[in-house]
Amino acid sequence: MIEAVRLTKRYGKKPAVDDVSFTVRPGRITGFLGPNGAGKSTTLRMLLGLDHPDDGTALIAGQRYRDLRHPLRTVGALLDGAGPVPERRGIDHLVWMAQSNRIPRRRAHEVLELVGLTGAARQRVKGYSLGMGQRLGIAAALLGDPEILVLDEPVNGLDPDGIRWVRNFLREYAASGRTVLLSSHLMAETAGTADDAIVIAGGRIVAHGSLDDISAGHESLESAFFALTAERGGRGGW
Amino acid sequence: MVSDTVSAARAELTKIATLRGVRLLTGVIVGLHVLMLAQNVSAETEAVSKITADGMIERFPGIVRPAREALVEYLATSSFQMCLFLPCIAAVIAGQEFRAGQLGTSLLAVPRRGLLIGAKTLAAGGFLLSVAAVIAAISTAFMYVTVKGWNPGLPVSADAWIAQAKFLTYAVLSGLITFAITMVARSTLVGILITAVLTVLTMSQIPAAFTPALDALVPLSAGRNLILVPEESLRLSAGPGHAMVVLVTWPLLATVTAAVALGRRDAR
Repeated sequence: MIEAVRLTKRYGKKPAVDDVSFTVRPGRITGFLGPNGAGKSTTLRMLLGLDHPDDGTALIAGQRYRDLRHPLRTVGALLDGAGPVPERRGIDHLVWMAQSNRIPRRRAHEVLELVGLTGAARQRVKGYSLGMGQRLGIAAALLGDPEILVLDEPVNGLDPDGIRWVRNFLREYAASGRTVLLSSHLMAETAGTADDAIVIAGGRIVAHGSLDDISAGHESLESAFFALTAERGGRGGW
Repeated sequence: MVSDTVSAARAELTKIATLRGVRLLTGVIVGLHVLMLAQNVSAETEAVSKITADGMIERFPGIVRPAREALVEYLATSSFQMCLFLPCIAAVIAGQEFRAGQLGTSLLAVPRRGLLIGAKTLAAGGFLLSVAAVIAAISTAFMYVTVKGWNPGLPVSADAWIAQAKFLTYAVLSGLITFAITMVARSTLVGILITAVLTVLTMSQIPAAFTPALDALVPLSAGRNLILVPEESLRLSAGPGHAMVVLVTWPLLATVTAAVALGRRDAR
């Protein structure tokens, strides 16, 4: 379970995230939707202890992220702006992460195989394509076999096979009673994957509920999204 | 807590050892050390061959000193000169955190900032110690080649061990100063530049021109005060005890500052 209570983050006087509260339940995939600059990444970063909130609290499995003793065994995260050093090999990136949380070394090989990167394990990350880098990020998130996954745009850069793999994997993951929070701006992809959705715009939550409830009265999740975000500064076009 | 620190430090050591830049730089510094010592072997061997019956050596024209003291000091100073470059390794190790979002990943793995800084400092200190030990071993080997015809036991004598221990202490502590400064500045280049400024302060003798007490507070001066033996032609700005206090205080303050900065700032 993930719980955000009145999270607020300001840059200068401008609030990037304003009084955001939500709950993400286990056994379901929750989409975290919003236009660029809506506050999705900042919210996730506060949730994972990377950014300090000006107000409010974020709890994961009932604790602040920084209070988790071996966090990678509880939460797996893929975040934009939290990646490997390009000169390091993929396997080395996973091995140091595993060591830091007392995860057996063999698990690094297992997750590489899971995401189809075994052949590129000894390659330096700077030689990876965008999709391979994304697969490595997903492998890192799965390293501790965590109960909770927090993924920021996980299908970004993946080919259709990769996208389908992520979708099926997350469905199975949630079906086994685990928690998945999935940030995205791809409406069709989210509609095909998530059970619930949280919509954020202009730093505030504008909708939170099941996908069916949010889409009710609209043609699709996409139309609902534009209707919800337009009122709070969402872009109507190019 | 101890086991968490050990596992975090182990992970940090893996990060250091798997970074190509660190390995390349270490190789260059060790190679440079071998090159510099190899260039001096014949001159030093010749000076040793001319040691007088009363044990005096003239390593530099006109400067005659007791051979044992001068050669032990040479052993330490030949390693000490590499301390100009060792902080660069520390800066590269610390600076990697601020590339490509590595700090974010590190904090996802070890979210307690104090633990992370502690583990990083332990790992960086351990790595610097191992590189410094290799440098000391190379100096010892060259010293043996130089003195084997006169006193082959000198490179492993008690005096030599003490001199090498002082070098190792300085190498690690001075490296940790640069490491912490780089963590605060969040930039390898800035870390190296600040270290260079501190080095220039000693080399130029600007603080010493005002007061030796001020000079004694600069890290490189403290290293010199710790390792070198004062003599007629070499006046030091403080004793070895003072030097140790300075050398411990600098990394301590810099590391606490780095920990506070890491704790207060967002990981961006």
